[in-house]
Amino acid sequence: MKKVVINLILVIIAYIIFFLQSNFFSWFNIAGIKPNLFIIYILFIGLFGNRVIGVTYGIIIGAVLDIIFNEKVGANLIGLSIIGIIATVFNKNFSKDSRITIMFMVFGSTVLFEVTSYFINYILFSINIELVSFIKILVIEVIYNILITIIIYPLIQKFGYYIENEYKENKILTRYF
Amino acid sequence: MYKNKKNGVWGIVITIVCLILIVILSNKESNISFFENIANKLVMPVQNGLTYLKNKVSGNSAFFTDISNLKTENQNLKQKNSELEQSLRELENIKSENETLKEYLGLTEKYGEYTTIPGYVIDKDISNYSKTIIINIGSDDGVQQNMTVIADEGLVGHVVSVTKNTAKVRTIIDTSSSVSCLMSTDKNSVVCKGTLDSNTQLKAMYIATETDIIQGDSVDTSGLGGIYPKGIHVGTIKKIVTTKNITDRYAIIDTAVDFSKLNTVLVIKNN
Repeated sequence: MKKVVINLILVIIAYIIFFLQSNFFSWFNIAGIKPNLFIIYILFIGLFGNRVIGVTYGIIIGAVLDIIFNEKVGANLIGLSIIGIIATVFNKNFSKDSRITIMFMVFGSTVLFEVTSYFINYILFSINIELVSFIKILVIEVIYNILITIIIYPLIQKFGYYIENEYKENKILTRYF
Repeated sequence: MYKNKKNGVWGIVITIVCLILIVILSNKESNISFFENIANKLVMPVQNGLTYLKNKVSGNSAFFTDISNLKTENQNLKQKNSELEQSLRELENIKSENETLKEYLGLTEKYGEYTTIPGYVIDKDISNYSKTIIINIGSDDGVQQNMTVIADEGLVGHVVSVTKNTAKVRTIIDTSSSVSCLMSTDKNSVVCKGTLDSNTQLKAMYIATETDIIQGDSVDTSGLGGIYPKGIHVGTIKKIVTTKNITDRYAIIDTAVDFSKLNTVLVIKNN
């Protein structure tokens, strides 16, 4: 029952993020650059949940975004799935309680996602590579994502541990003993 | 008198202190007014209320009838107010509808030679790297893949996929978009591509070596490529960037359409 509630809340959060991304951040942006809350979202699910839930959400959200906005499915789907996997790797090797570590995780995930999806778009649509512009946008996006993480992390942490208790209940002791 | 001696001593001391205090305080004029104030604050509101009530009951018999009149009047005013608010809302709706229709009319007159379907932009891409838009018309309205989408000022893009009620449009500022264009004075063709840098500019590439590019020159679609019809305004040349190799030179084009404010579009039917 708890798992159903958690998943329901996660779906509602995805909806909210979608509307924030397409409406709110259209004008609340830094030099025209929007953050990508879906990266933070999948990272957080992978960190506090487990690999299965992280990758599943990555695939579903990525596919939905690709279907809605892109001509071909691929960039978001692969990018967000990788974030789901990477998040579980982060969880095994780093502490989630340190804000600095979380900031580095967001930095790494954002760079990885954007580079992957840009590369996939390059293959799918044979776009011109504009390295300087890409790096400029990426830097601003990373900063924006980190700032948002700093602001919302206490909230994420609370809900995250709730998810962790549900999804890693039997395994959590093995981490310490 | 006191069963407990200690208590008795304390009682006496307190009484003496109180007495001294009362004496001292009561002999100062300012303190009199202070106590008076307190007393007034405690008594006067009640007194005022009682006097008011007495006056109303005895002297002014119209008081109660006035209340009932005021209630009815208040109710009437409330009703009138809600009616006015309702009509104001209706007027606002009519006003916005009128503006949209005017916009459509302007668009249709301007591109009268084409059969068009009007639509709204309902969503914009959430990514920083691609610039597609979603419009509120789909296959049910006659929209098909590869149809050209225009706005009042000029070219917007083309339809890349369609659902029953929506269509996905790749704008000309998207990095994967290429439009074959003609410069109005020279009539030489160039290829205009979207850039990551800007939402208002295109990069005109593959400029023939003998072409004279004029700043401020108008750029329209050439009709080559099979998607965009000929003669749709794309933008104006803002800057010419020369490189060491003349074949690599390119021009920056300001798009005619302001994509950040794009709300209304027309889809040109393929006939």
